[in-house]
Amino acid sequence: MDRRTFLRTAGAAATASALGSTAGCTGLLETRSARSPPVLEDRPNAVYFPTHIEGMEMGEMGKSGDYAAMTMYSYPHRFWNVNGTSVEKTPIQEGDDAHVMVSVFDPETRQVLPDAGVSIAIESDGETVSQETIYPMLSQPMGFHYGANFDLGDVDAATLTVNVSVGGLEGSGVTMTGDYAGRFSEGATIPVELPYSEATKENITYEQTPDRAGELAARGPMQMDMDMPMGVAPAPGDLPGRVLGDPANDDPKSGDAVFATTVVDADRFDGRYLAVSPRTPYNGYVIPRMGIQATVDRDGDTVFDDALDRVLDPELGYHYGASVDVQPDDDVTLSVTTPAQVARHEGYETAFLEFDDVELTA
Amino acid sequence: MDPRDGRGLDRREFVKSAVAIGGASALSACLDRLPGDGRDVPEGGDPSTLPARQHAWNEFLPTDEHGNDVMARHHVLAYLDYAGDGTPTDAERETVETALRSLERAYEYSNEGLLFTVGYSPSYFERFDEPLPESVDLPAPEPMSSFEDPTFDEQDVLVHFASDHADVVLEAEQALLGERDAANDRELDADLAGVLERADRRTGFVGKGLPAENSDVDGIPDDADVDEDAPLYMGFKSGFKKNQATEDRVTIQSGPFQDATTQHVSKIRLRLDDWYGEQDQEDRVAEMFCPAHADNDVVEGVGENLGDGTKVNECPAHLDETAQEYGRVGHNQKTAQARDENDSPRILRRDFDSTDGGEAGLHFLAVQRTITDFKETREAMNGTDATENPAIRQRVNNGILEYTFVRRRGNFLLPPRKHRALPTPRPE
Repeated sequence: MDRRTFLRTAGAAATASALGSTAGCTGLLETRSARSPPVLEDRPNAVYFPTHIEGMEMGEMGKSGDYAAMTMYSYPHRFWNVNGTSVEKTPIQEGDDAHVMVSVFDPETRQVLPDAGVSIAIESDGETVSQETIYPMLSQPMGFHYGANFDLGDVDAATLTVNVSVGGLEGSGVTMTGDYAGRFSEGATIPVELPYSEATKENITYEQTPDRAGELAARGPMQMDMDMPMGVAPAPGDLPGRVLGDPANDDPKSGDAVFATTVVDADRFDGRYLAVSPRTPYNGYVIPRMGIQATVDRDGDTVFDDALDRVLDPELGYHYGASVDVQPDDDVTLSVTTPAQVARHEGYETAFLEFDDVELTA
Repeated sequence: MDPRDGRGLDRREFVKSAVAIGGASALSACLDRLPGDGRDVPEGGDPSTLPARQHAWNEFLPTDEHGNDVMARHHVLAYLDYAGDGTPTDAERETVETALRSLERAYEYSNEGLLFTVGYSPSYFERFDEPLPESVDLPAPEPMSSFEDPTFDEQDVLVHFASDHADVVLEAEQALLGERDAANDRELDADLAGVLERADRRTGFVGKGLPAENSDVDGIPDDADVDEDAPLYMGFKSGFKKNQATEDRVTIQSGPFQDATTQHVSKIRLRLDDWYGEQDQEDRVAEMFCPAHADNDVVEGVGENLGDGTKVNECPAHLDETAQEYGRVGHNQKTAQARDENDSPRILRRDFDSTDGGEAGLHFLAVQRTITDFKETREAMNGTDATENPAIRQRVNNGILEYTFVRRRGNFLLPPRKHRALPTPRPE
């Protein structure tokens, strides 16, 4: 069903069920969210195809300091927050007008920065409409982004200025290596324009997908006119060093994440280095902010047993790593100590939460 | 009565909004509304009997049943610039001192009358050839985390007025700036007009009931249940005796500015939709104090039961442990890490909430011996080390950083009373 048809139906339903004072656009939107397909009852503990797919409208790109940012918006979404091991649904709330999204990336390499502290202040005509700390999120069609649902007050149609505040990555516990060393330690505020209108929003595609909902599959990244960085991890074939296992064929996989692991020899790591690059199956998006413990055993002796750092490297991308002199035939065990602290759009909320140890042979 | 319907406002509510409005008409409307024969504000005595330290307010404030100092309820911050060229003259100095003494004679120096301080910024001192002595640590303001981008307050002078009476702070402000002749029915012997001119004005309030009554502003969700007993918007008491530095601890001990202190004032926007919308009381206790306090039901309501301290020593000392166990760390737990070798806090908070600009805000005003004391306390609040645990993010699950947005920062020196009028960097 296309969006217009759906709206008409929703409007009719609202009248029929005598919702009373809700009227006009707001009433329709509330009705629509109330009628969003229910969350599937029987969801796999894995990535699954969502019940519906929403498009989005793109804003502009801005740059400041070490950072670039791009903004987008769509209908308000339900999403799931992850705090520690708890997963909590954030429903669409009364007054939510739009899901505002920001992609933060390196303007030079266009590499997404998936582990930053980000807040946005939205202005219209010089007046602040809202300001919130927003959450890192994974979405099948929209990739990795920072986002939240926003109440835009009386704004109906305006070119919004979204002031994107990015905190220095070191303050998020991320280490930078290679040409990234010395970069991203300062924060920045990046003003980005976002043309917004209720009418445009109403025409954003909205597609229900009952036939595929719940399948062990994912909707692919959205095709866009603008080249927005989506947070795709480097393809296994593009990883430097000696790649362990067969990540190109989703091996090894745990918690439904593919653990691409490589042993790299490079000066920037002071020698040999173990890098783990977990990514979503199907779309290959980076999975940030996990706790990963690595153990390396050689001939029955443990030669390394420590938490991996969260690292941003120009070649490896965002990954988890440590300097370890891994030798051929060593047994490498990866244990996830904290599941990915990233909010999820529908279809990701049951994945990347519980993990069996990953066993690899170097 | 619904305080939001705009009709039938009771006197107390009207007076509070008048401070935010400011100006002569707000004051006269405010005075008109006083019951009976008008107000009865005690007059001041001999200014020369007042303490050497401008920041010595505690002896003039009441204490609650637990021995905590109770801050005056209404506040005005008048930011001023020197009107002249070059450096101030002795005549100007005398004018300023005379005006300040007039205020001290007009009102009792207490929360019942008027408390005030006069501070000078690093920008003010730049007009002199000589630098400040090394005994004064007063750098230009700077961002205090990588995720804030504040505008810096570089006005020359900041006068902080405080009183339990809204009309007193309004009247004193206007009289001092030469916008009215009398203060507490006493004509001033001088005012600041022509010497210092207004650059900015900020206002606020702190105390039981005031946040709940002033909650119809941006940043506080309509359905937020701000506790009627709360002195601040976030719903908890603060300024517990054991969580405050003493006035001795914040006083500069030597040099020409002996008995001075430094003042840091930040303007913080509060966005409490998620604080009140997504979180319950237990979550709020966990983030304001520490998760263990939430677990152990240490804090009841606004925290009146805490007595004279937040019992922060009952929170695990290692943030790591808390992060591991609860997936978040508390605000108070973090700032306690910045205590000195005697386990004393290093800053004395005198902050207050605000509705300036129609949005919920906090003027975080604190005095401390050095700006470094403030900076290191704030760094502890950033909880950077705790972010090593993936569950503790830069601004999420990390105390109250998610809800607070720093807009402005400024540093000032509160000279000893004898040097409070347009001091040189090396007063004699």
